[in-house]
This record gives sequence, C-alpha cells and structure tokens, in this order.
Amino acid sequence: MSRTFRLFIFYCTRTLENEAEFLPAADPAVEVHAIPMACSSMVKDLFLLKALEAGADAVTVWVCPEGACRHGEGNLRARKRVQRVQSLLDEIDLYGCRLTLFHLGPGDRSSAIKILREISGDLAGLGENPAGIQKDRSKKQGTSNNTS
Amino acid sequence: MIVGEQKPIKEILNMTAPHHRLLVLGCGTCVKTCFAGGEDEVAALASLLRLASRKDGRSLHIEEFTVERQCEDAFIAEAAEAVARNEAVLSLACGAGVQAVARRFPRFRVLPGVNTTFLGVLEHRGVFTEECSGCGDCQLALFGGVCPFSRCAKKLLNGPCGGSRNGKCEVHADTDCVWHLIIERFTALGRLNDLRTYVPPKNWQPSLSGGPRKLIREDHTL
Ligand code: SF4
Ligand code: SF4
Repeated sequence: MSRTFRLFIFYCTRTLENEAEFLPAADPAVEVHAIPMACSSMVKDLFLLKALEAGADAVTVWVCPEGACRHGEGNLRARKRVQRVQSLLDEIDLYGCRLTLFHLGPGDRSSAIKILREISGDLAGLGENPAGIQKDRSKKQGTSNNTS
Repeated sequence: MIVGEQKPIKEILNMTAPHHRLLVLGCGTCVKTCFAGGEDEVAALASLLRLASRKDGRSLHIEEFTVERQCEDAFIAEAAEAVARNEAVLSLACGAGVQAVARRFPRFRVLPGVNTTFLGVLEHRGVFTEECSGCGDCQLALFGGVCPFSRCAKKLLNGPCGGSRNGKCEVHADTDCVWHLIIERFTALGRLNDLRTYVPPKNWQPSLSGGPRKLIREDHTL
C-alpha cells in the first residue's frame, strides 16, 4: 500500500465503550484516530475543523440512535453541528462529505465495522484532504493506528 | 444585546485575500452571546480560514485574539501588540466595534466579519428576536412594555390591523402579532382602558432618520 489515509472518529461511549471494539477491524491503509466522548453533544465545530487541519482526510461522528441519548438531545445537537460544518466545508470546496455522522446502537460492533469499511472505500474516491498538514503518507500499513 | 451573524465564508475569503498575516479579533460581549464573534467563533473561523488557504495554496498566517468589548478603547488597547504583528484585522464585533478598532489603529486595514443585524433578546437557545429599533424616544409605557415600532410589520400605534391569526402576524406567520401581545399584557395588568388613549404619529427625529446621534453625559466628561 503506497498511501495512508487519516480518519478521525469521534464516538459517544454510549455506542461503543472503547476503540478496541472497532480499531482491529480498520483497513491497515487508514490511520485511525479515535476520540471517545461521554456524550455526542461534546462535538463542536472547532473540534471537527481542527481534525481536518491535523490532516484528517475524513472525519466521522458516531452517536446513539435518535431518542436514545442519555442526556436527552446530545445526538440531535451533534447532527446539527455536523450539518453546519458540512455546509462550511462545501463552501470552501473541501467537500462536506469528508464529514459523516452515523447512529449506532449500544455495542453495535458489526455496524461500526461496516461503516469503517465503507469510509475506507469512499476515501479512495474522495482523495486526500488538500488542506491538512503534511503527513508521512509512505507509512507502512498497519503500524499507525492510534488513539488521541 | 446587539445581534449579528458571521458573514458568509466566501465573502470573508474575498475580503482577506490580499493579506498574508491576519488577526481575527473577537469581542466577548454581545456577539459572543449570539455565536457570531466570541472566542469560540474566532477559533472556528480561524481554523476554517486556514483550511481554505491551505487548500488554495495561499500563504496565510492567522493570529487569534478576543477582547472583552471592541466598542471600548480600554479593551481594544489590549489587542495593540497582536494588531502590530499583522497586516490586517478581521473584526468579529458589531459595526460599532469594527469602527472603534479602525479608529484606534489608523494604519491597519480593519475588515468586518459579522453582519450586525438588530437589537434583540435571546428568546430561547439559538433564537434571537428583534425588540428595539433604538428610536431615541422610548414609548414603551404607552404599550405595556411591548414595542410596536420594532415588532409590528406595519408599525401600527393604535391597535392591530385585524389580519392576525391565532395570535400570529399576517405578514410573518411565525411571528407573534405585537398587538396581540400588547392587549394580553394590558389585560393582565388590568389596564385595557389605556388603549383608549390616542397615540399620535411617532416623531422619528431622535432616531437614526435624523442623522447620526451622539450621547453626552456631562457628569462623566471633563
Ligand atoms: S419605543 Fe423606541 S427605544 Fe423603546 S423599545 Fe421601541 S424602538 Fe426601542
Ligand atoms: S398582524 Fe399584528 S403585528 Fe402583524 S402587521 Fe398586523 S398588527 Fe402588526
């Protein structure tokens, strides 16, 4: 594999408790940074933009199903913030589709793995983020997955 | 508070295009409350500008700074060193703040990043409504504390137009009919008879229509 994409996952620990549940299934060509959140309402526009600045080629936010947020409306707030950042990215021609949001039920590992594979597949078409800081794209596959 | 919203990013990019060192300057009072220009908005806009400039291969260094109020020289002074390090300032304050910063730093270009919109209140989280036009001659006592100059689409001063439906304005169906609110208010106060007093046409001379205004408090001047 000659290139490594970088993916940031912001996930509510109500969906999956920790990254050990999905990181092993990540495509080795994709460097994954997983950021746990006590509630998806913690997602802010700045965090999503900073992830892209830090070189993310794609950013995804995983929230619990609508109506299931333990704090009431965290996942609804997260969705609105993601939509706003998507439209800002479209406005600067960086493609809002680099940013996605998925609903996952508690412990729904198989959906998480399916989503990871879908995003990895989409990254090839989307290409690298031209606005991120330079990263070492020649990194060997499977060596760079980590958490931050 | 003064309510405003950030300008479209394309407009901001066009305005700032000639500059390579830009200070994004926030204001921690009104525009912070309406999510247009506080510290968080400064950080997010700076991040977006960095992404846009990197994508376009344009060299742009951005510094972020937020003062308590951009409409007061004592607070603006705190930004002097940051201003000096940059070529231009993108102010996220209201129009008054932008002008105050420009006056303080005459050799620097100061650009507006916010569209100043109205004087209003926070109705509920994320929703701001216009409630005062700054007319310079407050008549709220005549209307039970609800302002028809600012909140009636037809600026009616002697009762409703008759077009409201279920308490909503016939011009903007999502807006309360201000006369419905005034009558409710007088009913609650037991002062419905106040409505019999004829209110003459408003003198707009003390408003902006009479030209730019100035307020002088002699006891605070020397
Ligand atoms: S009467 Fe004038 S000052 Fe008073 S609330 Fe209305 S517009 Fe504002
Ligand atoms: S419906 Fe009420 S607020 Fe709207 S124009 Fe008529 S009187 Fe004014």
